[in-house]
Amino acid sequence: MRGVAIIGCGMTKFGRLEGKDLMDLLAEASLRAIDDAGAGERDFDSVYVGNMMAGELVHQTTIASALVDRINLIPAAAERVENGPASGASAVKNGFLAVASGASDLVLVAGGEKMTAADTDVIGDLVSTMTHPTAEYAHGVTLPAMAAMLTRLYMERYGVTERHLAMVAVKNHANALKNPYAHLQRKCTIEGAMSSIMIADPLRLYYCCPISDGAAALVLCPAEKAKEFSGEPVRIAGFGHATDTHAVQEREDPAVLKSVQLASQHAFKLAKLEPKDIDVVELHDAFEILEIAQSEDAGFFPKGEGHLAVEKGITTLEGELPINPSGGLKARGHPVGATGVAQIVELVWHLRGEAGERQVKDAKRAFACNFGGFGNNTVIHILERMG
Amino acid sequence: MQGKMTGFKCKSCGRVMYPRHERCLGCKGTDFEEVELAKEGILLTYTKLYALPEGIEMPPLVLGIVDFGGVRALGQLTTDDVKVGMKLRPIWGKLRKLGGREIYGFRFEPAEKS
Repeated sequence: MRGVAIIGCGMTKFGRLEGKDLMDLLAEASLRAIDDAGAGERDFDSVYVGNMMAGELVHQTTIASALVDRINLIPAAAERVENGPASGASAVKNGFLAVASGASDLVLVAGGEKMTAADTDVIGDLVSTMTHPTAEYAHGVTLPAMAAMLTRLYMERYGVTERHLAMVAVKNHANALKNPYAHLQRKCTIEGAMSSIMIADPLRLYYCCPISDGAAALVLCPAEKAKEFSGEPVRIAGFGHATDTHAVQEREDPAVLKSVQLASQHAFKLAKLEPKDIDVVELHDAFEILEIAQSEDAGFFPKGEGHLAVEKGITTLEGELPINPSGGLKARGHPVGATGVAQIVELVWHLRGEAGERQVKDAKRAFACNFGGFGNNTVIHILERMG
Repeated sequence: MQGKMTGFKCKSCGRVMYPRHERCLGCKGTDFEEVELAKEGILLTYTKLYALPEGIEMPPLVLGIVDFGGVRALGQLTTDDVKVGMKLRPIWGKLRKLGGREIYGFRFEPAEKS
């Protein structure tokens, strides 16, 4: 395999973006990434667009074909990549493989979702259709319900309390206040989080991500050609991608995110690195329990001790292992198809030293976990500063 | 009206699964027989859902995962007086109305009436 470099990145602000449709967002993020790479005059070989629900939410299909038309990347090969909430990272992985294999020399990866124009109940139901149709969905399961049941397992088994969930939310809101791209730009307190409305006991509103619009994009090329472009390159050192049973109850241990464990192990093996080598991390905290659980199953903390790391402040911007400096899904927002790409945009900025007020000091290596379904499909990337 | 709650036992390795798979999660075997699950199970975890899905009228919707000795099932609980570890048994009933159609399946009720 050839080495693969990220030579450009960009994203839109995340949030309730009235007056901008999905294609506006994808075009804006893509042009920012192309400009960042200084690749405006170049011909692209392929385009991968991460998106979960355009057909259902904005009544538009074949959005990759629409994007190459909007920003004239014709005749680049173009396709939409759908892998639930991990659609973004799956698009990145496809871009990585296209370059690594030698099939493509210049690739655009974009991810986007326009969600706020749709009714909240419609979105909730569409997202619930990711669950097993007869063993889960038919019974009235929603994603917050799944996260709530995982949270209760953690509370029973590991002594996680509601306060730990609130601490993760407070941290991620504080980080988002330093991120001009974040959806939720307001301070959150422990007391405020713990008095927010109950969604799925024991999960309150503040332990769940918001519904957001947004898009993010990357430009990839072979590492050996990175010098031809203007952006400071970052190497994709490894990826991992693994699945687990569709129905959560069938997992050997429903409190273990095995797809995260396996994808992480694969990514570290490919990158020839270990968890201790990582300086900054973006995790998929669609629900705050997931940040705690993924931090363990990805290999950063022993199982059952992720909440202790939160208590000790290890995962804050100033801590030993900052997690979700962007604000995470909780506060940067979660336009589903955009998230996996936006995580990597955030990490590229940290590795280049361009993350502004939330910059993680001297970050050299970074880790991103994008989590699909309720843990049945996880895509992980490890990034490394070049040169 | 449905009688017993059943799982699918792999004829090659004996593993019991719920729901059904075309190939065994253990040995990739393809022959199964339908077997009745244990009459009672233990509640592993649960939630009381207040942000309701379509076709559920009254909050909270209580959902839980019940362990029938290795094979587990997720479903609605008939009571909101719940505790991890309590004994439950399956009971056939209406789950919810979806797209104008009533969906039926197994729910779980306390095995010992308090």
